[in-house]
Formats: sequence, C-alpha cells, structure tokens
Amino acid sequence: MSSSVDTAIFVKPPTRVSAYLDWLQMLTGAGLIMFMWSHMVLVASVNIGPNVMNTIAYFFEATYMAQVGGPIIAATMLVHFILAARKIPYTSEAQGVIWRHARMLHHTDTWLWLIQALTAMIILIMGSVHIWTVLTNLPITAAKSAMRVQGGFWGVFYLILLPMVELHVGIGFYRIGVKWGFIKRSGRKKFHRFENIWTGVFILIGLITIIRLWTLPIAGN
Amino acid sequence: MSRQLKFNIFRFNPEDPKSEPHTDTFMLEETPSLTLFIALNKIREEQDPSLMFDFACRMAICGSCGMVINGRPGLACKTLTVELPEEITLMPLPVFKLVGDLSVDTGTWFRQTNTKIESWIHSDQEFDPESVEERMENDLANSIFELERCIECGCCVASCGTANMREDFVGAFALNRISRFIMDPRDKRTDPEYFEVVGTDQGIFGCMGLLACEDVCPRELPLQDQLGILRRKMAFVGLKNIFKPKEKGRHRRF
Repeated sequence: MSSSVDTAIFVKPPTRVSAYLDWLQMLTGAGLIMFMWSHMVLVASVNIGPNVMNTIAYFFEATYMAQVGGPIIAATMLVHFILAARKIPYTSEAQGVIWRHARMLHHTDTWLWLIQALTAMIILIMGSVHIWTVLTNLPITAAKSAMRVQGGFWGVFYLILLPMVELHVGIGFYRIGVKWGFIKRSGRKKFHRFENIWTGVFILIGLITIIRLWTLPIAGN
Repeated sequence: MSRQLKFNIFRFNPEDPKSEPHTDTFMLEETPSLTLFIALNKIREEQDPSLMFDFACRMAICGSCGMVINGRPGLACKTLTVELPEEITLMPLPVFKLVGDLSVDTGTWFRQTNTKIESWIHSDQEFDPESVEERMENDLANSIFELERCIECGCCVASCGTANMREDFVGAFALNRISRFIMDPRDKRTDPEYFEVVGTDQGIFGCMGLLACEDVCPRELPLQDQLGILRRKMAFVGLKNIFKPKEKGRHRRF
C-alpha cells in the first residue's frame, strides 16, 4: 500500500460559477431589454417620416454600429438564451411538472415565467431570422422595410414577433426588479401595473409602425 | 340559508397496496366561522373515520395542516370557508413525501434542509452558563424575530416552481433562514462562508423569482425582500472574490 486514500476528493470544492452565471444572465438580459426598447423607438421613427428613419439608419451604418453591433446583439441573445435555458426543464417529465404546477397554482407570476420560457423559443428562431435578413441586406431604408412588410409573409412574421419580444422583455424587466431586490414588497403591485402598461405601449407603437410600413408608398422612399 | 359545501378530497394510502389515488366527495353544511380544520374534523367524525390529515395547534403556529386548497398551498386552520367557493378541492402538498390522503411528511425535508444549510448559530465562543446574556439592539432583535416567525409549514416550498422541478433546491424557507443568521451578530460565519452554503444553484441562484412563496406564505414573511437582499449580497460576495484563489476544502469548523 503506497499512500492513504484521499477522502477529501469527495468533498465538493466551493465554486462561484453559479454567481457569475446569474450575473451574466441578468446583465445580458438587462442589456437586451434596453436594446429592444431603443430598437423599437428607432424603427418607430418611420412614423414621423421615412426620411427620419433613413437618416438614423444611415448614422448607424456610417459609424459601423449596425455592422458590428448587430452580430454582437445576436451573440448576446445566444449567450442569454444559453444562460436562461439552464432554468427551463429539458425532460418532458419536468416540463409536465411545471405545467401542472402552474395550472394548479393559479398564480400570475408563475404563468408569466412560462410565457417567458415559451416566447424565448420563438424569439430565438424568429429573432435570428430577422437579424440575418436585415444584416445581409444593408443598408436599412424605410423603403426596403416597407417592401418586406408589404410582401405579406414578413408582415405576418413581424405581427407575431412583435408581441413575443415585448412580452418577453417586459416580463424580464419586472422579473429582474423583484428578483434582485430593486423592487420591494410594497412597490411590487405598482411596478407590475407599470410593466403591463409599458409593454402595452410598446406593442401599440410596434403595431402602428407595422401598419405604417404596410401602407408606406415605396416609390420615392 | 347556509351553504352546502362540496369537498373534493384527494385520497391515497401508500401503505395499502389496494389503495389507488382518487378523489372522494363529501358534503357539509357551512356553519358560522367554519375553518377547513373544523370542516375536516367534522367530515372525519361524521362521514369517514379513515380520512388522514395533520393538525395540532389549530392557530397557525405549528405548521402541520399545510395543504393545497383550491390550487393554493395554505393552512387549513387559518382558512375560513366563507373565503372559498362552494366547491373546495383539497390536495396534499407536493414536493413532500405523502403519508396518506392530505398528510405529508414535512419533517424529514426540513430536517435535511436545515442540516444542509447548517441552520444554527456558529460561534467559537465558549459557553459560560454563569455569564449574563449578551445584549442586542431592540431593532435588530425585532428584525431577526420577523424572520424567525417561520413555522416550517412547507407552503413556500410546495408553491415553488423550482422546488417542484428540482429536488435539491433549498427553497424560500432555507434562504429566509440563512438571512436570519446573516443578521445575527452571534453567528460568526463570514460572507464567503454563507456563500458556500447558499451561493449555488441549489441556493439563492436557483431561485427564478416567481414569488409564489411570497404570495402563499401563511405567516406573510417578507420573502420577496429577503430573497432579493440575499441574491444581491451573495452575487457581490461572488464578484468580490473573483480574483482571489479558491479556499481549499470546506469552511472552518466551529
């Protein structure tokens, strides 16, 4: 017998990975929330005038923010997905557990999480398709966006993607607030109501923008 | 004219090989100030003596009578039937081991979890039975007591999405409990030592913030606030030590 057995091998060494991943999940989420809201506001500039949108788009391309920032946003989205997906059950058994649990509990915040998980899957696919289509077809102009939407397929595409993104982002905003203790018990109800209205406003702005693009005369823009 | 209440009650005796999980229906006339605890006792006395459920104190102190009441975990003794519709469905708390019908074994789970998070004051001070008790600021004592009010009924765990999906998640109960020790100056554990206990995905970072615990807690413990404070604290402890080498092995013994 050479040496004694190292029993310490069975003791799990302390690790900080969970903390780092939780930070990253929150920070990528917060970053994407800010991006999505800014994105909506910028695209909605077409409602003021196609030229306003064109000028903003030109600015982002002339400064290479679209060419560099676009792929960074796509990568952030993927990282955020991988981090948050750690919480989503992968086996049908666990999926059944959370589904039955939500149906039993009649609890809004639990349902909101299921909506977040479901919209995440749709955004992952449709968001990627959207980013690919836009970034491989630069420069962004109001006329090109209008043409895409007026084709019909993309119009419906964005009518689906819009509420998915706004719901996911709005719920995520609320969740970060309560999860990280920024919102206390006393402020939760108010904050929840604010989040609902805020999300509603952004869906409305999005709808108006889609309608505007659908009805925008393409020639001359 | 008082209401006729219809009780749908989950029935299953794991000890009996012939028993199949099913629901039994009982009718009971509503009386003034009727609680579920009284109703269940009436049903057992007058209709079915084999009905299993737990109770001890009938005043929301012992935490024995936690059950799922129309979908929501709560205490039978604290729930008045006037607050409920005519049809009342009672199920045992999930997550915990079923003893039979509405009775679950919360004791084993709480014992294990308390052991896991080392739920006691860690001190290297020699105990002197002769000395005067150490003094504490009244405000601090009150805020510790606020969290101490937990009765270990299991409602927060049963209502938690994470705890339902993952067996190893310690739940709001344990996170609240650790917050109580963090506040307590008599506990000599350092932040990195608390981090070792709850700075994991089984601890605070496993919490998804669904806040069902906050919404069902029969004692109305400030779980949302405590979990938020704990997440921030533990997240910063993790970050603060990002460039420090990991300590080997488990934390010091007291």
